Amino acid sequence: MDVGILPEPLPPQVFTTGAQLLDLTDKKLVIVLRDGRKLIGVLRSYDQYANLVLQDTVERLYSQNLYADVPRGVYIVRGENVLLLGEIDLDKEDDTPLQLASVDEIYDAQKAESAQKKQREKKKARKLHSLGFEAENELIL
Amino acid sequence: MLFFSFFKTLVDHEVTIELKNDLSIRGTLKSVDQFLNIKLDDIHVVDEVKYPHLSAVKNVFIRGSVVRYVHLPANAVDTALLEDATRREAAAQANKAK
Amino acid sequence: MADVENGSPTVAEPLDLVRLSLDEVVFVKLRGDRELRGRLHAYDSHCNLVLGEVEETIYIVDEDDEETIRTVKKNSEMLFVRGDSVVIIATTT
Repeated sequence: MDVGILPEPLPPQVFTTGAQLLDLTDKKLVIVLRDGRKLIGVLRSYDQYANLVLQDTVERLYSQNLYADVPRGVYIVRGENVLLLGEIDLDKEDDTPLQLASVDEIYDAQKAESAQKKQREKKKARKLHSLGFEAENELIL
Repeated sequence: MLFFSFFKTLVDHEVTIELKNDLSIRGTLKSVDQFLNIKLDDIHVVDEVKYPHLSAVKNVFIRGSVVRYVHLPANAVDTALLEDATRREAAAQANKAK
Repeated sequence: MADVENGSPTVAEPLDLVRLSLDEVVFVKLRGDRELRGRLHAYDSHCNLVLGEVEETIYIVDEDDEETIRTVKKNSEMLFVRGDSVVIIATTT
């Protein structure tokens, strides 16, 4: 356990998953999931696997300089699907360069984008695979 | 536990974390846990235009499993000490296996 | 312990070979079309690594001409590499 690099500068209980998430409890967070979805909500509970309970969740959709919010309510998120949690600075929250759009508008734009992208990625992966390269575990953003 | 201990020595240093989805986040290392989940303070995203959803975010918790690289400041790493610790950890592992 | 300090020359398991490469320049192949070359300063049983003076090579298929492969090189003074991306660790020399 002690590999003797340096004496520990802080009490060890700070360095647990629970301690890290405790600071974020009851804060407004953006959660990025492995499939690329972005949720915005208030963290109400969690465990050592970083399973989360979010309240007043909205799913925010992005397409270029547009965004739209879909109300989702209470979410329980399985930890392994979480990419990152970010605490939102409430002072900066509103000065975004993005424009609010309707959900349908974004859905349509996203559909076109992702179909194109998928095809491109497939071709690339095939080419690189022929040279002996292995794709990374699939993560979107 | 080697890298858990190693990252604890880097607390309060500026690092850049590159995720497996190519997103790079620079910030001050604030905390790490046994899964190498990492908390960064005062973050900025390297390619902000491409990732607008983090523009109002001040600190992040990043799940260890999605990290590809952590770029470290070389002057914060005692390489001789680190190699020594690696050999000791390897020996401890070998003893455990016996 | 004295054995350990001197870096025992025996290779009983694969990672022993990696131990003998400590403080040497190694070649690392990664998932996601990447390769690294740098000095090995640390590793563990998950193949998590710390490399110094690293040159990263990324292989990219051209957007318009899908037959050509470009490479992009990046440098980093000190780099932690997560073990689950590692495919091969090879000694150079």
